[in-house]
Amino acid sequence: MGEVQEKKVGIISCSGEDCVEGTISRVATRQALGKLRPNETVTICLPLFLAGGREEREFARDYPTITVDGCDKMCAKVATERYSGKPASSIVVTDVLKNLHCPKLSSRRKLNNETLAVAEKVAEKIAEEVDEVLRHWV
Amino acid sequence: MNEYLRTTYDKFELRVRQGFYYTKDDLWVSVENGKARVGVSDYLQKTSGDVAFIEVAKPGSAVEKGKDLGTIESAKTTVPLPSPLSGTLEEANSKLTGNPELVNSDPYGEGWLVTLTPSNLEDDRISLLSADDYFKLMLEKLQSEHGKLESK
Amino acid sequence: MKMDTTNQKKVIIIPCSGIGKAFGSISRDATFEVTENLRKDNTQTLCLALLVSGDEDSKRLVRDNKCITVDGCPLQCAEKNVKLAGGNLTGSLRVVDTYKENRHLKPRSITFLDPDGQQMALKLAEKIAEKVDGLLEDQ
Repeated sequence: MGEVQEKKVGIISCSGEDCVEGTISRVATRQALGKLRPNETVTICLPLFLAGGREEREFARDYPTITVDGCDKMCAKVATERYSGKPASSIVVTDVLKNLHCPKLSSRRKLNNETLAVAEKVAEKIAEEVDEVLRHWV
Repeated sequence: MNEYLRTTYDKFELRVRQGFYYTKDDLWVSVENGKARVGVSDYLQKTSGDVAFIEVAKPGSAVEKGKDLGTIESAKTTVPLPSPLSGTLEEANSKLTGNPELVNSDPYGEGWLVTLTPSNLEDDRISLLSADDYFKLMLEKLQSEHGKLESK
Repeated sequence: MKMDTTNQKKVIIIPCSGIGKAFGSISRDATFEVTENLRKDNTQTLCLALLVSGDEDSKRLVRDNKCITVDGCPLQCAEKNVKLAGGNLTGSLRVVDTYKENRHLKPRSITFLDPDGQQMALKLAEKIAEKVDGLLEDQ
């Protein structure tokens, strides 16, 4: 059967509506997917994954994944482990924030410049993790 | 024989139904008892996005091979549908009026678009692709149009 | 999760927030428009993924209150998941239906909504608000 598949990493992000960190998670993931590592990554839609989306679950089972969560409830990581397998790496936005100098975060809906800057840092972290996963791909 | 030829691109499985003919514009044709049924391939529905509007020529219209049979439209794009055959349009799939998403969810089955009575089937069939040949073409399109399946 | 402590019944709006399509972003933004602006005293939202993970507070919230799901596309993941969680589902809306009523709007951007996406979110938010009003009248 024909195959065009290359080495790819699935990114599974929460979009947590409850807090701005959920929005940061979402924006950072989209930046990593669309700008930083567009050829090396695949979006895994979390709601579709949760609802039983076959393509999402099979990809996450057969390829390495990186989960990106807004908070320590880690819904994306929990779901990935439950339905497909342990992710290769997990990022939590609140952990990234601990290493930054107390940025003044905006509302969850409209991100201010400081919050966008945080999202960019998280996106860079996702890209680094993608590179790391691909480096160790056997 | 498996019903479909399959490949995987990113997370998407793309299928080509065996026993159908195809065009380079990603439409399929199945012929039975002199009547042709026409739809869009799995590849086309996937690259088009969520189909919301379908417009086709009226039943009874004469259609010409290569000329537009109609269009499918999503928020992402409007796709013209060059007719694979010349003939008369018999029926448009009425189920699509209320459920255009059938084109996405079942492109080779309930998502069919129209039926035609061909006027020149033997000649028109020469330029149609077999499932195997369309599958190869689809693979070429996937390799050259990297990233097309999803907005990034 | 922030719990409402006033014991006032609210309508819970749950978007799919699908990350792969503009419609997912619109579902999210429309939900915020309702819960933060149009009907901010009578509605709240919650994280779909948190609900599906089994969070007890979330499960109680969707069982004890009327819920409206807002899905981007016909796959209707929010509706499916809320039903599975035993939520009191009293309405479900799809962004694609708002698009069908506003064919001229072509939202293309996913990460940040473009003007067409913002407009579509506002139109959908009005529909959600109408639905909320209907549910509150029935209470």
